[in-house]
Amino acid sequence: MTALTKKHRFDEVYDAQKVYRLLLTAVSNPAKSVNIREYAEKLYGAHPAMLTLAFTLLDNEVGFSVLEDEALAGDIACLTLSREAEPEEADYLFVTDPSLLEDAVRRAKCGTLRDPHRSATLIVECAGRAGLFLRLAGPGIGEASEFSVTETVKTALEFRDKQCYEAPCGIDFVFVSEDGGLLALPRLVRREAR
Amino acid sequence: MDNNYNYAFLDEGSKREIRRASLKAVAIPGYQVPFGSRELPIGRGWGTGGIQLTLSLIGPGDVLKVIDQGSDESVNAVNIKKFVGLTTDVKTTVKTEEATIIQTRHRIPETPMKEGQILVLQVPMPEPLRIVEPREEITKKMHAEGDYSPMWLLLYESLIRYGRITVASEYPCLVEGRYIMNPSPIPKFDNPKLDGADCLFLFGAGREKKIYAIPPHTRVIPLAFDDVPFEKESFPGRRCRLCGSGGTYLDELFDSATGEKYYQCSDTSHCQEVRGCI
Repeated sequence: MTALTKKHRFDEVYDAQKVYRLLLTAVSNPAKSVNIREYAEKLYGAHPAMLTLAFTLLDNEVGFSVLEDEALAGDIACLTLSREAEPEEADYLFVTDPSLLEDAVRRAKCGTLRDPHRSATLIVECAGRAGLFLRLAGPGIGEASEFSVTETVKTALEFRDKQCYEAPCGIDFVFVSEDGGLLALPRLVRREAR
Repeated sequence: MDNNYNYAFLDEGSKREIRRASLKAVAIPGYQVPFGSRELPIGRGWGTGGIQLTLSLIGPGDVLKVIDQGSDESVNAVNIKKFVGLTTDVKTTVKTEEATIIQTRHRIPETPMKEGQILVLQVPMPEPLRIVEPREEITKKMHAEGDYSPMWLLLYESLIRYGRITVASEYPCLVEGRYIMNPSPIPKFDNPKLDGADCLFLFGAGREKKIYAIPPHTRVIPLAFDDVPFEKESFPGRRCRLCGSGGTYLDELFDSATGEKYYQCSDTSHCQEVRGCI
């Protein structure tokens, strides 16, 4: 008889709680970068950090979309039992290819004035090193301050600004880097002129 | 820890839903995010919203403090602490600065909270507009349109009728210039502590199935008129009979035998710290 083995070491109870708290720290302090590498290493595939967030947040109550990455979509569906949805309907959009970011932002649902929570969270994989400085302000930051970000973060914010959402409608960003660095930019964080 | 329960009592699906709702609430400060409030071994209206938030937040390494009306020793606070302890084994404390998560009812601690700490507030009635509009459909529309004129009218009528705004607790505030929010039944004394704080505030209403939040460094302004500024309670000339503090929120106590009225700090752990008891 062959023994069944788990494909990963990520603990659904304890690791998920830790990742959630790191994510909560990042969303409530948009300027603050946290690191989920320790937990991502317990998962597998080409995008373990994204899988970590999926495992923490997704289940059969929500829908997700992965733009043009069938392997990741399969892993997420298999791990979380979440349903794959069209980008316009998805609660969580996973973007691994920066060239698809504009399309993802354009198609992501932004909620309504009545139900702004029915909006998408975009989880975007960032390559490259932070080196661009942006002046950001909003809840969690307070006075406008300068932050070092990657090109992908800057581009994503530009795409989001182009959508001209009427607050509090909008989309929330979570950026993860290859080394597990995680930065969140919720909808009310805005760029200010330097 | 009782291993017959899941860690932190709730099943992982319930925690995930509460976690998703709380993240959305932080992203839209002051907006009430609906969630599927779970049954707990405690009656609704006894802090189930706060408990569900605490249970979805808590993990090994956390230090929990629970207060009720400022007291660490009230029945509600002690039982919530015991319940969370039974299902998690986390360390509990009465010291505000030691806690990573503080669950509270009716007060914000006197000791300023720091970055990284989370204050979970139990909320009986999350909808600030309920006092002027009983229908949920309409209050949702009012929030969507930012139509808060009935609330302003209520405050104005109070001013005209009584010469001052008579809302004592649950004093409405405007969050980031967008949503009017009920800060839960904290006294007006505590409202200014919400503005530009270093910590995260999470509000849970179990019976009403709503979660909302105020992230750190967020503008939270109590409603007031240009010519009638917001006023919090003050206790001129009065001091805590135990620790002698003058700038804290004081409870008025009455000795029925002697007819004497006296005052002492509502925040018991702060009072004990000042006296060097803890």
